[in-house]
Amino acid sequence: MGEMVRKESGGAILNHWVLAISCILLMITGFAFLFHLESVGAVFGGFETMKTVHNWTGVVFTVALVLTMVNYLGDSLRYDADDVQWFKVAGGYLSHKVKVPPMGKHNPGQKLYYLGIVIFGIAIALSGFGIWLMKDNPTIMLLSHLVHNVAFIFFCIMVPVHIYLSTLANPGTFQIMVSGMVPLELAKKRYPKWMKAAGKM
Amino acid sequence: MANNSTNRKAILVTPEVCIGCRACQVACKSWNELPGIKTKNNGTYQNPPDLATAAYNIIKYSEVPSQDNPVRWLFVSRRCMHCEDAGCMKICPAPGALYRTKEGAVAFDRDKCVACKLCVNACPFDVPRYDAEGKVTKCHLCFDRIGEGMLPACVKTCPTGALRYGDRDELISTARAEGFGTIYGEKDLGGLGSIYAFKEEPNLYGMKENPTIPSSVIFWHTYLKPLSLIGLGGVVAAAAIHYMAVGPHKDEEV
Repeated sequence: MGEMVRKESGGAILNHWVLAISCILLMITGFAFLFHLESVGAVFGGFETMKTVHNWTGVVFTVALVLTMVNYLGDSLRYDADDVQWFKVAGGYLSHKVKVPPMGKHNPGQKLYYLGIVIFGIAIALSGFGIWLMKDNPTIMLLSHLVHNVAFIFFCIMVPVHIYLSTLANPGTFQIMVSGMVPLELAKKRYPKWMKAAGKM
Repeated sequence: MANNSTNRKAILVTPEVCIGCRACQVACKSWNELPGIKTKNNGTYQNPPDLATAAYNIIKYSEVPSQDNPVRWLFVSRRCMHCEDAGCMKICPAPGALYRTKEGAVAFDRDKCVACKLCVNACPFDVPRYDAEGKVTKCHLCFDRIGEGMLPACVKTCPTGALRYGDRDELISTARAEGFGTIYGEKDLGGLGSIYAFKEEPNLYGMKENPTIPSSVIFWHTYLKPLSLIGLGGVVAAAAIHYMAVGPHKDEEV
């Protein structure tokens, strides 16, 4: 095995999985509320307990979401000409024949995905707290209910995309969120601009 | 909805013959074992002032003088409207907390209520109330009486016939035959289970004109709910197709 470089810190990995597991638990319980899935409710011993689990998991999700900004927000706000070109070739995902421009640590798809998670994550968190804590204000309650459900659709669409792209679609990527390490040779191919900046190539 | 209009039951309120005796309020409390409420005199006989966890029905008293009757006093019995298209049932996230009886009533099961209060905000008539333990309460059309072939407590006790219970279609045609031009709730929200016979304008009695479920709730129910499933399923399908048609990323080609 050749030289490895660290792409994700231990803290970032822990942060990712707390966010991911809370997010999926929230989505499953959310679907159970939306479609009255009694079998899911039964797992929690009833819908009232499931509501408590959903609410407090939401707190965990919110904290984890805020913490991710330390690691990813800065990078996700910076785009260059290669990023524009990346979109023109759809990141190479529609054909293996196109030439994908050299990327830094994250490609613009990842960066925009992250921004989406931040924006819709804040929306779903704030509206969730609205439904939870501001029950006696009809305007806030109904607005929160609407925003919560709109943001939910973003998660329903984007979370499976993220899971697919980070596992089956890009072999080797999932491992980075487990060990944090990526083989140097692979990193040079996938993140040349990052590797150059780090003085590794 | 499982109910068809042929066996749907309803309460017909005829405010014109109501004498404001409030026996309906007492009978409701008696049957449902609801405690008294400490209230203040606010210069009206209407008491309690509004629906409450211990008041599933009330008579609203309003003084609406007219040209030929300067002391006209109007009484209208208010309770859950038992909408066919019920906003509370639409938005409720807890299965069975609000449910439809075979008579068409919207009843509740407080053990299944998750205390979210969404129903309060989706009700077009401001009916559901939450008790001290944070559970929903409201008129349930005495589901436990009507299920056994008895009259709702309020109807049973009404001395004037201002409250009548029976087959919804029959009540409507009876009211029409009696000369009531307006049947409030005949068509609103798919048809209400509490219908009102008026000779005058319903808004004179403080009845809400064109009651509707909040538009955000209808939008959510019609579009967002299905879209969440379609979105999830569509993306999973698209990923599967992509994996087969284009395949995973290959670093050799970079």
